[in-house]
Amino acid sequence: MLKRCVKCGLPETYETIEFDASGVCNICRQKNFKDASIDWKARKVMFDQLVEEYRGKYEYDCIVPFSGGKDSTFTLNYLMRKYKLKPLVVQFNHGFMRENLLKNNERTFKKLGVDVLSFTPNWKVVKRLMLEALIRKGDFCWHCHTGIFSYPMHVAIKYNTPLVIWGEPSSEYTAYYDYRDNEIEEVDETRFNRFVNLGITAEDMAGMIKDDFNLDPRDLAPYAYPKTRDLKRLKYRSVCLGSFIPWDVKRNVEEISRDLGWKGDEVEGMPPGKYPYEKIECYMQGVRDYIKYLKRGYSRVTQMTALDLRNDRISKEEADRLVEEYEGKKPPSLQLFLEYLGLSEQEFNEIVAKTVVPPFKPDFETIPSAPNTWDFERWYREGKEKP
Amino acid sequence: MLKKRIIPVQLLLNGRLVKTKGFDSFRDVGDPVASSKVYSSQYADELVFLNISRENRTIESLLSLIERVSEVCFMPLTFGGGIRSLRDAEQLIKNGADKIVLNSVSYEDSQVISQIADKFGSQAVVVSMDARFDLKANRYRLYSQCGTKLEEPSIEDHVRKVIEHGAGEIFINSIDRDGMMTGYDLNLIRQVVGCSSVPVIACGGAGHYEHMKEAFLETKVSALACGSLFNFGDNNPIRAKAFLSNYELQFKKV
Amino acid sequence: MIGILDMNMGNLRSVTNAVYSLGYDPKVIHDQEGLKEASHLIIPGVGAYPAAMRQLEAMNLKDAIKDFASTKRPVLGICLGMHIFSTSGEEGGGAEGLGLVPGEVLRIDTQPGLVVPHVGWNNIRFLKEHPVLEKVKDGVDFYFVHSYRYVCEDQQDAFGETEYGDAWPSVVAKDNVIGFQFHPEKSQINGLKLIENFCEWDGKC
Repeated sequence: MLKRCVKCGLPETYETIEFDASGVCNICRQKNFKDASIDWKARKVMFDQLVEEYRGKYEYDCIVPFSGGKDSTFTLNYLMRKYKLKPLVVQFNHGFMRENLLKNNERTFKKLGVDVLSFTPNWKVVKRLMLEALIRKGDFCWHCHTGIFSYPMHVAIKYNTPLVIWGEPSSEYTAYYDYRDNEIEEVDETRFNRFVNLGITAEDMAGMIKDDFNLDPRDLAPYAYPKTRDLKRLKYRSVCLGSFIPWDVKRNVEEISRDLGWKGDEVEGMPPGKYPYEKIECYMQGVRDYIKYLKRGYSRVTQMTALDLRNDRISKEEADRLVEEYEGKKPPSLQLFLEYLGLSEQEFNEIVAKTVVPPFKPDFETIPSAPNTWDFERWYREGKEKP
Repeated sequence: MLKKRIIPVQLLLNGRLVKTKGFDSFRDVGDPVASSKVYSSQYADELVFLNISRENRTIESLLSLIERVSEVCFMPLTFGGGIRSLRDAEQLIKNGADKIVLNSVSYEDSQVISQIADKFGSQAVVVSMDARFDLKANRYRLYSQCGTKLEEPSIEDHVRKVIEHGAGEIFINSIDRDGMMTGYDLNLIRQVVGCSSVPVIACGGAGHYEHMKEAFLETKVSALACGSLFNFGDNNPIRAKAFLSNYELQFKKV
Repeated sequence: MIGILDMNMGNLRSVTNAVYSLGYDPKVIHDQEGLKEASHLIIPGVGAYPAAMRQLEAMNLKDAIKDFASTKRPVLGICLGMHIFSTSGEEGGGAEGLGLVPGEVLRIDTQPGLVVPHVGWNNIRFLKEHPVLEKVKDGVDFYFVHSYRYVCEDQQDAFGETEYGDAWPSVVAKDNVIGFQFHPEKSQINGLKLIENFCEWDGKC
């Protein structure tokens, strides 16, 4: 039995979690601080000043890294409507974008009127990276984590646009950066190396894959953080909007639905209709979540109910019911994933088994399947080619 | 007040970092320069690099590495593995090392310790010792040459001698516990701390943070070094310190 | 251009790298010519006080540094670099310093349980505000490695204090001159912040 937070239910295997003497976790405590002790008025003033410092002086007023999920859509909408900024929207295409997401994005970009840069990395390299990351860290999304956080910084340099505005601060869900430090989270190379890249840099990865993969040293450039000196000379600043206004997912979603007609979607393994705004942008999210379940004994269902419990939006009974009914199902996208990487399910289980976080012990045998999402048939299939 | 330290140990083989199992089956765990940046972001207190190449035992191969690490890593850097002379130490320090580690040469020619300490100060000289417990003799024995050559002096005698010659820190490594991840050898650490007037860094055996807690609380060791702990599993110095600070151990505040 | 003085007393590489990585242009200086072009001067150093002063004499830099300071351009001394700002130091028979921040440099007292040199991470209690100390939290740790400590003649010149044995100044400053007992180039994010602040400083308090 895993030890859990008495308030939100997150288990001891959750990254950075710590329980205090009353059994409440640090993520909950951080949230209390966020609500009660941060001077949000002062933070807003700070943001007003920051924006004015950069407005009009560069090729664009700022860069908005954009995935099309609720957070980046909210951020872009907010910056344009409330501050009338001229942003450069920068998108790193992880390779698994869903139809609904693409429609949302088109609608958003056309309604707001913005310049958009999108970058899609080499799929063959991505596949090899997914395999290596899965083996080393039990997290195949390395290319996505690193690409999303490095690529916009390269663009900042190339386009002489030093202000980069992200959305949700990491203190919303982990304690690598704690709200209680009462500081602005700088989204810089330190943060990148601290947890974004899972402790593996592009240079590390190059050595790890070069023996069995035809690697051109330039292939990993999209995943490498640019030199801090180059960013410093630009007088760069890279921050989260959520460090200056209190982040409220439900309010954010309402706003973008109303302003932009943003639509949620069904997601593998999640209770239908309950959290339609969560992680809709990637069709590998089911596998990601499944691996998390096998490694740590909880999935996004627990995370979502934890958020609701923390915000007193749901009862313990309801939360338990949702977790009991929906958590820990095998996603249909697993088939695609195994195809991409050329693995059998047995091999996959063996790899993941090595990365399990104690004291949790997964049971690989008796896992029921989750139903297909509506667009499952439209996701990319590799066929029988060798990856 | 002076804080306790947590020091990742990085093993170098031909320009890459490796982890071994029983001094064998090298597995690539990354690029030393990049990994230093990562440890820097995770608030490691110092980094120790040990060259375990058997072919590439020269200092030259380390020099360009040190240069590149010191371009991106702004914390104390310690280098060792095959250092035999003042000249070796000079080159390493000139290229960016803050401290150097001496092991085998401290038995053969302890004058080298004094030469380096005189020129660069004791704080630049770490003398490392590898120990195994001898059941028959019922005491610890010291080994040089990567654990292969049995040396005569007792721990007390050798510690005293190297400190007299100017060693600024002692790095004690338990060969028995190395790579086992079953905990530090607390008796060994206590023995070394008991006879040393300079700070002691202990290495060998950390498998999870509980082991570090035991070592800090039950001995007066100044610092703990870890090899396997941070390379396997979801562990990093930030998490280690978060765990340990629940036990009234004070670490560097950032 | 940030001048970094080479007294042949220790490693300049880390300081130079730190300045460079922060986006500034460091230049290693060996002589008076070099001093002319520098907008800022950093004096790093590890080693013995008398040896440092002898080096400066030999390089004809003792007065040149004092002249530089009198032009109101910012000067930063690190560890031994800070020590030589004093009037005198007792190490190795004693020697006279540059006198930029009056005081003396004495050996840290050995006490039972206290190892000298003072090596490792220790915290600074900031006593007063200073442009170079901005945005660095009180109580954070920096990397120290030394056997001697400063005694300020005028307490007003002590801007930060650290405890090891007893409490002594770890940051001293007077006009456009500032000294750190610790090594900011080895103190990661907070050390780099101080170096950055120094490079941005105009020398005025």
